[in-house]
Amino acid sequence: MTGMTKSDGKQKAAVAVSVQNVNMTFDGFHAVDSASFDLDQGRFLTILGPSGSGKTTLLRMIAGFQKPSSGEIFINGAPVSAAPPHKRSVGMVFQKLALFPHMTAAENVAFPLKMRRFDATTIPERVQRYLDLVQLGSYADRRIHQLSGGQQQRVAIARALVFEPDLLLLDEPLAALDRKLREEMQLEFRRIQRELGVTTINVTHDQREALVVSDEVVVMDKGRIQQMASPTATYRTPANAFVAGFIGVTNFLNGTVKSTAGQEVIFAAGEREFIGHWSAAAGAPTVSANVVGALRAEQVRMATSADELGQCRTVLSAAVTDAIFEGERTAYEVTVGMDGNIIRVFDHDPAAHKQFGIGEAVFIGWNPQDVMIYPN
Amino acid sequence: MRSYRTAYPFRWRVMDTLEMLARVLWPNRFSGAVPYLMLAPAVLLVLLLVIGMAQIADSSLHVLDRSTFLPSADFTLANYQTALRQPLYWMIIWRSLLGAAVVTLLSLIFAFPYAYLMVRTPSALLRKFLLIALFLPFFIGQVVRAYGWLIILGNQGVMNEMLGWVGIEPQRLLFNYPAVLFGLVQYMLPFAVLMLAPAITAIPEEIESAASSLGANWWRTFTHVILPMSKPGLVGAGLVVLTLSLTDFAMPAVLGGGSQDFIANAIYDQFFRTSDQGMGAALTLFLVGIGSLVVGVIFTVFGAGTLAMGRGKK
Repeated sequence: MTGMTKSDGKQKAAVAVSVQNVNMTFDGFHAVDSASFDLDQGRFLTILGPSGSGKTTLLRMIAGFQKPSSGEIFINGAPVSAAPPHKRSVGMVFQKLALFPHMTAAENVAFPLKMRRFDATTIPERVQRYLDLVQLGSYADRRIHQLSGGQQQRVAIARALVFEPDLLLLDEPLAALDRKLREEMQLEFRRIQRELGVTTINVTHDQREALVVSDEVVVMDKGRIQQMASPTATYRTPANAFVAGFIGVTNFLNGTVKSTAGQEVIFAAGEREFIGHWSAAAGAPTVSANVVGALRAEQVRMATSADELGQCRTVLSAAVTDAIFEGERTAYEVTVGMDGNIIRVFDHDPAAHKQFGIGEAVFIGWNPQDVMIYPN
Repeated sequence: MRSYRTAYPFRWRVMDTLEMLARVLWPNRFSGAVPYLMLAPAVLLVLLLVIGMAQIADSSLHVLDRSTFLPSADFTLANYQTALRQPLYWMIIWRSLLGAAVVTLLSLIFAFPYAYLMVRTPSALLRKFLLIALFLPFFIGQVVRAYGWLIILGNQGVMNEMLGWVGIEPQRLLFNYPAVLFGLVQYMLPFAVLMLAPAITAIPEEIESAASSLGANWWRTFTHVILPMSKPGLVGAGLVVLTLSLTDFAMPAVLGGGSQDFIANAIYDQFFRTSDQGMGAALTLFLVGIGSLVVGVIFTVFGAGTLAMGRGKK
């Protein structure tokens, strides 16, 4: 199978999955609205979005459980919309795993080989190889209910990969796990995916997971693809206000444009004027247009005196209304002056910095390049 | 602030009054006896059954004195000897067992798609229709339904009339073995569907999706996943249909017309036609023995856990 070679990104990789103008309507409701993207061989893509954004519907169409209302999906160049799931070379790990309770771990993993008529003499060896891959080599004869949650995850992964599919789909299989196990399994998915080089599409509403595991992130909302970019680009240069708000903790300043100079925008929000910058993804705003400035909580500096914020071009006086110690950081909510705007601030080095108490008067500051301007 | 009426509904006050009354009638210090008290009716009923069985066992040990029409005074195994020696009774036992097995098999085969469709259909209307169609025969009763078949399958019945339209001579559709089995299957179908439906409901639809994405077409999904996972329902439904058919009276009596007796009909004849209580009692014990044996074998082969009883077993 050609999909099993490792892609190191430099050589020109073939397109493994191509979604072209796919629509899905249920009784007039647009669950997926003209979705298009190409995914290269061996890449790990995460479709990220809130519930009801259409991400699961899109995944189910790629798996073959639903037929697009219009548009076409290509896997390795061949259109697949007409093919039922069992005729596609797609492995899937389900939300509730959907392991077969009447079979052992090894029988679960052997199932797709038997159904896809692999040479029977090679099945035991292959099953053992994939159980070893997910570190369950010695659990082959356990029944499913004799395995822990994490072990069941691993059986589900082995079962979805053992027939060497062209494409692996993950339908939020980690959603039900506790945080520690979830983060462990995220890295495990990443390790296995890199080891086999299998093209993978993951669906999640967990922004952290999307950033941690993926080569590429597709953000969906209301059935539409909002942005497709690398995790860093998605975080640093969100294409629109929705993406900026959905990933990370973001403050929004609503206002109208006063003037523009190059990339910089001066806009009025309440009684104040702020400076922000627009990016190519969002496009240049016009004077007196309604805009929203997005400011990440970790870009805001906080100090007891304005002098300490000398490097910031925007400095405001504020009062701390809430302080939540979260271990590696402290999350503050501060209320700005008269307009009562609440700004969220992360202090990532609470040990070295001063801890601020509730009610304390502080100054907060940031720079124009930290405020991303989007049309409102 | 919510008003008193909504914060403390009327239903709760009724419950309070009842609980107060209960405390007066049954003070708290007797509360240890409550579980036993709740068990008492069931224990009493089982006890009555045991007494009845003992009585039947006793009368099976007396032969009927043909001159006085009274049971003999001394104990004897003569009734069992007669029963075992008469080929007629072997015939009846064989007919009942074979009939029960065939009826069970056919009922499960017919009931499974029905139950599956009822559970899986996305249309609430279709589900309601299937449920009503299932329960409707329950309101009619077995004997009335058997007479209904007499009218439909009789020599001048609807069925033969329809055969006449396509030029087929009137057939004798009644008073034979297939007619009895046909009536029994029709009678057992709702029981089988009702026992199968919860077992099919317990299979997540995601499991079927998983099977198909792993490469199984619908037939292999059915044989490798759905059927094995429905085993508890199949065994439960099978047991109910098997025991009900094995001990059935009305269908063989009405649709068999006396020529297709099952064990229950033979027992009836001994008790109420020839008035040979001893013989009837011996046959009754045979039936109880055969039924218990069959159920016992099924339990040993499939395990009692198949009825989803006992805790912890998945």
